[in-house]
Amino acid sequence: MLADAKATRGAQLQNEFVVAEAGEVMLEAKGITKRFPNGVLANDHIDFTLKSGEVHAVLGENGAGKTTLMCILFGLLQPDEGEISIRGQKMDFRSPLDAIEAGIGMVHQHRKLIPAHSVIENIILGHPQARGVLKLKQIEEEVAALAESYGFKVDLRAKVWQLSEGEKQVVEILKALYRGAKILILDEPTSALTPVETEKLLDSILKMTRRDLGVVPFITHKLPIVLSLCDHVTVLQRGKVTARLQTCDATEQILAKKMVGREVIFNLKRPEVPTGAQILKVENLSARNNKGIMAFEGVSFILQEGEIMGIAGVAGNGQHELAEVLAGLRKAEGGSINFLGQDITNMSILNRWRMGIGYTPAERTDVGSIGAFSLVDNIFMNYYFDEEFNHKGVLDYKKMQRLTHEIIEEFDVATPGIDTSAHSMSGGNLQKIIMGRVFSRKPLLLIANLPAQGLDVGATEFVQRKLLEARSNQAGIILISEELDEILSLSDWVAPMYEGKIVDFIPIAEAKKETIGAMMAGSYQEK
Amino acid sequence: MTIFGYQLKLVRRATLPSWKAAVFSVLAVLFGLVLFSVVFFQAHVDPITAYKEIFSYAFVNTYGLRLTISRFIFLALVTYAFIIPFRAGLWNIGMSGQLYVGALAAFGVAYAFGGRDSSTIQLPAGLVIPLMMIAAAAGGGLMGGIAGFLKGRWNVNEIVSTMMLNFIAFYLTSKMIKEGGVFMNPGGRGESFELPASIRAPTIMDVPTTIFLVLILVILLQFLFAKTSLGYKIRAFGNNPMAARYAGIDTGKLSVLVFVMGGAFAGLAAYHYFGAVPGVFKIPRNYGYFGDLAFYGIICGLISMGNPLAALPVAFFFGGLSIGGRFAQGKLHLGFGIDYALLGVLMITLVMFQFFYRYQMMWMKKEE
Repeated sequence: MLADAKATRGAQLQNEFVVAEAGEVMLEAKGITKRFPNGVLANDHIDFTLKSGEVHAVLGENGAGKTTLMCILFGLLQPDEGEISIRGQKMDFRSPLDAIEAGIGMVHQHRKLIPAHSVIENIILGHPQARGVLKLKQIEEEVAALAESYGFKVDLRAKVWQLSEGEKQVVEILKALYRGAKILILDEPTSALTPVETEKLLDSILKMTRRDLGVVPFITHKLPIVLSLCDHVTVLQRGKVTARLQTCDATEQILAKKMVGREVIFNLKRPEVPTGAQILKVENLSARNNKGIMAFEGVSFILQEGEIMGIAGVAGNGQHELAEVLAGLRKAEGGSINFLGQDITNMSILNRWRMGIGYTPAERTDVGSIGAFSLVDNIFMNYYFDEEFNHKGVLDYKKMQRLTHEIIEEFDVATPGIDTSAHSMSGGNLQKIIMGRVFSRKPLLLIANLPAQGLDVGATEFVQRKLLEARSNQAGIILISEELDEILSLSDWVAPMYEGKIVDFIPIAEAKKETIGAMMAGSYQEK
Repeated sequence: MTIFGYQLKLVRRATLPSWKAAVFSVLAVLFGLVLFSVVFFQAHVDPITAYKEIFSYAFVNTYGLRLTISRFIFLALVTYAFIIPFRAGLWNIGMSGQLYVGALAAFGVAYAFGGRDSSTIQLPAGLVIPLMMIAAAAGGGLMGGIAGFLKGRWNVNEIVSTMMLNFIAFYLTSKMIKEGGVFMNPGGRGESFELPASIRAPTIMDVPTTIFLVLILVILLQFLFAKTSLGYKIRAFGNNPMAARYAGIDTGKLSVLVFVMGGAFAGLAAYHYFGAVPGVFKIPRNYGYFGDLAFYGIICGLISMGNPLAALPVAFFFGGLSIGGRFAQGKLHLGFGIDYALLGVLMITLVMFQFFYRYQMMWMKKEE
């Protein structure tokens, strides 16, 4: 099926344009080696060649050395050994400025934009032409033309904070292209994007390669994208290249095995769980977003014990706000939430935790954890109020250390110890800590907001398995995800959300990927 | 930077043991002292002589040391007034105002017992002194609580509100102790009435007993932040307000609480500064000259990075320098303000050296 996708995409291109012949070597890296002062060998003699007009994915788990390689290619780090040449010319990047000058553009996973500024202001920030009096009008026209030619749609006058993640990414790409990038390095390009945005991005990437741009996406997960988009794949594991493949020779299984070093289960078995009593009843709920606009309206549903309700939606359609209202972080504008027969619409967050509502936020570093705190103190976030750990205002650190060890063990968290600070944890391990913390309270209702976002293949599988385990323990779960596959493999009910409304509730047996995709995109019509 | 084939590199530190932090602080002080000797040279005074005078008066001379300890008690309390909100991520710039209102409340108690009219009157010290301290803490706490409430309820910037409240407190005090107010000294010297000797705080070996406040507080505060759920909530709020809210912490209530606590400590400092030692409430004569030692609480709090235990040596050191500096200034006929300049330079170097808390400098051989 994946090979089909690739073929279809290719065929479409054939019809529209002439595919650029994968031609001259644009970028060649030989024997790149980088050892960090703490002794970690992040890159061990990595060879890498990018030709013009090709998309060459670099795959690898968190910590495999992708980021280091990327930073070296972009001049952020200098290699200990090895050399980089561009179009046959040896390069010595001392800073990203040298790399930009040589025609390399980079789009970081964490967007580096100024939220209060407009799109166009962000695009020209740091541009050599942006000196003295700005010819904003002219620049705007140029950027608009550039965007048009690649099929990007973005309002150049909009402020960046108003944009969705996908739109922000487009801004970053346009910024790189406007500075004349010929080689584009994309870090986890689709990690925060919705299916629709992903499609658009992939199309644009293919359009770019037709103009002889080389594109290098660095990816930890989302193997189907690698297969449908890329021409070549380089897989890294522990700083070494473990495979160099053409995508026509690869399957998801092969790639995953090369990345992780073991077999990965892609389709988890969803055990039969008898549904129990009704635990949550939401009626006609509505709330506003941060801009004061209605985020969602008229949302009503019922959730039973042992059920997963998968809310599928493109980011910015109100599902994030819905999760926050249920968790108590956002005020409901209207309607009611009934939990275990009690109206909790205006209940404090603390009392919701006490009653057995657990929330794992999508913003793991900003909301879900406290970076400067040790793991023990991070686990305390959900226990400082619990009589078992709080004896008349004095916290029981001994007991908490035990619990922290238990969580680390049960959730297979890779960490040097329980006193490690949260900001030194990788994304996947941090998510395991957050989930372990919330799950250890054995919540009756669990709201999981983008639980596997940005995690590598192994961690994703783990998190999903834990969600199913909680379901088997009779928890009612609201799963918010932008990954349709994830929703379909975990949920009992699928609820696509579009523009603040839940379009339909579909039992999993009747859920069809195409229909739900269309509902999420707002293009579904009643037959 | 490259020297002789070696390259200077900055590496971020993961952790810093506390003894290293102390070493850097000592180095910073030495650096500051060397730097400041330029000023002494300029004044044709041998810096060694000057520093000898300063340090021997502040830390060796019995009379000077007594003043140093008294100053230390005050600085430690105002530092705690700053530290509590600071650990919650909030900036208390209103110690001066909280100080004034605390002192007014304490003198109000003395006034209520008839302490204004005669300095020889015998008052029940066992009752009045604790009441004065409680009133001082309550007055300061109330003043701090206003800023905390504005922050918690409407998210009013606490730096602005505490600053503004300082002025209100200053003019309120002027009204009470100078312009014919009820607390005015009968002698009309532009300061408050003198407390009767019977209700001055008792002293042990000439050290005011308010020092026990500091010693009890440091234990309580260390315990608060290390072990209690309140301390945990304050730390969580200070490190990541959004995560604190997610964890169910009532951040509005917490804002009020930390400012009430901070204000109360400032109030206790006021009791010590005006009530315990001189027994008279004075404020700067000139309305244009505003600002006092309470602001040093901010600096001491920042240098000790919010750590109540580390705040003690810092407060002691600066307390001593301010006493010794003033003494040396008079003795060596130095220009006005040298003492404050010295304090300022040392504070800047101490804060500057905190760079090394976060970064490590390494010389690495450059490879060709």
